[in-house]
Amino acid sequence: MAKKVGIVGAAITPFRGRWYQKTYYELAQMATREAVADAAISIKDVDSVFYGIYNDIFERACIPEHPLQGILGMQNKFGIRISNGGATGAYTLSAAHAYLAGERFKTALVLGVEKATDCFDFTSMSATPEVIKTIAWSGDTFFEQNIGWSASDSYAEVVLGYMDEYPGTLKPEVTAQISALLSQQARTNPYAQRQFDQVTPEEVMNSRYIVYPFKELEICVYSEGAAALILAEEETAKAIAKNSGKPIIWITGVGEANEHSFAGKNQKDMSHIVSDYLGAHRAYEMAGIKDPTKTINLVELHDAFIHQLEISIAEFGLVPYQTVDSLIEDGLMLPGGKYLVNPCGGLSYCGHAVGASNIMSAWSARNELIKRKLKTALIHGTGSTISQYTACAILEHE
Amino acid sequence: MPEKRRKLIPDEFIPEIRSRVITLDNQDYLLQNDTMYTFYERSMGELSPFFLAIKNEKKILGCKCSKCGIVRVPPMMTHCPDCEFAPTKLVEVGQVGKMNTTPPITYFATSLFLDKAPFGRGRVILKGADTALSVMLYTTTGILVPGLIKKGTEVKVVFRDERVGQISDIYCVPTSELTPEQIAKKGLQESEIDWKTPKEPQFSKPTDKDTANFKKCLKEMQSLAVKMSQSKRARKAIEGWKRDIAVKTKAGEFAMRIDNGNFRIEDEKLVSPDFIMACEDLKTLLDGLMYKGAITDSVIMKRLWISKNIEFNTIFKLDRLARFLVMEQKEKAAK
Repeated sequence: MAKKVGIVGAAITPFRGRWYQKTYYELAQMATREAVADAAISIKDVDSVFYGIYNDIFERACIPEHPLQGILGMQNKFGIRISNGGATGAYTLSAAHAYLAGERFKTALVLGVEKATDCFDFTSMSATPEVIKTIAWSGDTFFEQNIGWSASDSYAEVVLGYMDEYPGTLKPEVTAQISALLSQQARTNPYAQRQFDQVTPEEVMNSRYIVYPFKELEICVYSEGAAALILAEEETAKAIAKNSGKPIIWITGVGEANEHSFAGKNQKDMSHIVSDYLGAHRAYEMAGIKDPTKTINLVELHDAFIHQLEISIAEFGLVPYQTVDSLIEDGLMLPGGKYLVNPCGGLSYCGHAVGASNIMSAWSARNELIKRKLKTALIHGTGSTISQYTACAILEHE
Repeated sequence: MPEKRRKLIPDEFIPEIRSRVITLDNQDYLLQNDTMYTFYERSMGELSPFFLAIKNEKKILGCKCSKCGIVRVPPMMTHCPDCEFAPTKLVEVGQVGKMNTTPPITYFATSLFLDKAPFGRGRVILKGADTALSVMLYTTTGILVPGLIKKGTEVKVVFRDERVGQISDIYCVPTSELTPEQIAKKGLQESEIDWKTPKEPQFSKPTDKDTANFKKCLKEMQSLAVKMSQSKRARKAIEGWKRDIAVKTKAGEFAMRIDNGNFRIEDEKLVSPDFIMACEDLKTLLDGLMYKGAITDSVIMKRLWISKNIEFNTIFKLDRLARFLVMEQKEKAAK
């Protein structure tokens, strides 16, 4: 029988478009310092560290985690890095959970960090084209990279595939309202990169096309920042919680899936994010959730693109594919609705510091479960070409 | 969409060795120009026949499973994982196919593709294939707009005149834009296609009302430009950028100057501008600068014409300029 694993501490740095003041060394330590303080333990009490760092080129080093081992005070202990595209953070959480459930360790630090916008394009004198180029090295090296693959056009392929399959869904006025809603939710998140960037649905609809069908205000921003969780197996978690006075948030389910990266017969179904379906439903199964629509109160999902947020929620089984716009049209995710979705503002407005993003989502879900006295949350990360990778976790308030 | 081959890293991409200091909250921070670079002489290994067939024979190859018969294009595997790794063999497939799904269109590209945008990239299932090949998509009629290529649209593979054995040696155009002979031809090259060059729009003579409207819009634009040049945030959108743009409308012409954070509207005709923007009604451009609809979208929807596609880059900066000014105003109000 696997051991129960819970979250007993969490912290994030502010997410920013550019952290001139700090390197990723300091961002990583900053989140770690705060997370152990939140758990009211010493770093010496932590047995293992799991690093979520997505892209070597962002950090400008091939094994960017190696200096962190000593900087975090984790020298001579277990350390492993997870790199799974956009799903890096969620996969890092999943890996740490597995090691603790398997009784390899009693405690773990789950640390995500990313420094993205040091990348700079000197021809356009701006960071963004170089940041997205750096991400574009993630496309297929033989068949995609040198024909203009980018994260946006890759996810747009899946979104358009969904719209081909379910015409009339993902209406522009609905995606615009979701973006505006997330911008409002970020208003109370002091760590959000766009805390004061509240937009109206009209502004979203009037924003420029970046990659059709995505408009500028329907895409997440690139961020720099770090997020950290302290995980512990059951007995240790209870002891830590007793000392800190903070409730344990149990990780009761995890699920993952990576799809084909090619499309067509027997390959990836371009009209769905099957990895999201499998990841979520495998997590439900582990958590013993029979009907997620009756169990899940809170969703903190990876909203790299607003259209993809809608599709992912449908894949989670929380809303039917054909009526996915009911998230807004029937008020399912509006204030007071059935689901609380990305109360931190999501990756769109809190920010997307890739390796740290899903860990930030877990941080937010933990806070909200405690603050709002909710029972069950779903955490999600998606990544790689054509939304190939997914990792999900179920968090439950004790 | 012909293109010239260049160095692996074009000279214009390479910055000088330099550093600078920025000061935030009375603390200095050092910024260094830097790079990571690795050159390769990379083997295409088992994929070599596919790329050599494109380069030398203008053919597209797939791999056919000896057991289930599925034909995968590109031929990404020598053995079929669905059939306990039964061997596959290379087969030639057709050069016309149908789009597997509606393709996205990239208007804002990565730094490597800024000069190629806008372009589509999607997946085509060629005749004789079961899986989809990822390809760039162009139209011969100018800027690719949504709706032109959709799921099921028939497209034709076009081979670049100069080929080096990469997937970028080919791209697709809709067969509806080609002659029956071109569609039937194996190994159709880009130089065999009539690429229509976009022409500067010509406007009819303005009425008095048009002229009055132009003057009003120009005045508003000048006043907006002053605000933009004074906004710390808006200035960042055009930091390090310099362009002299001739703006032509039905009722008049003027100069729009971007100069490292400064944005000016001047009542003069430029003799040798960096590029030309043309729109019938100046309000189209004014609305964009006032953050009432994107200038990018005006170009895409053909309400605004630009003389060089590469200057989409500048159009993005103008959209950002408008947004940053509004963001600064909103943030001030929120705080």
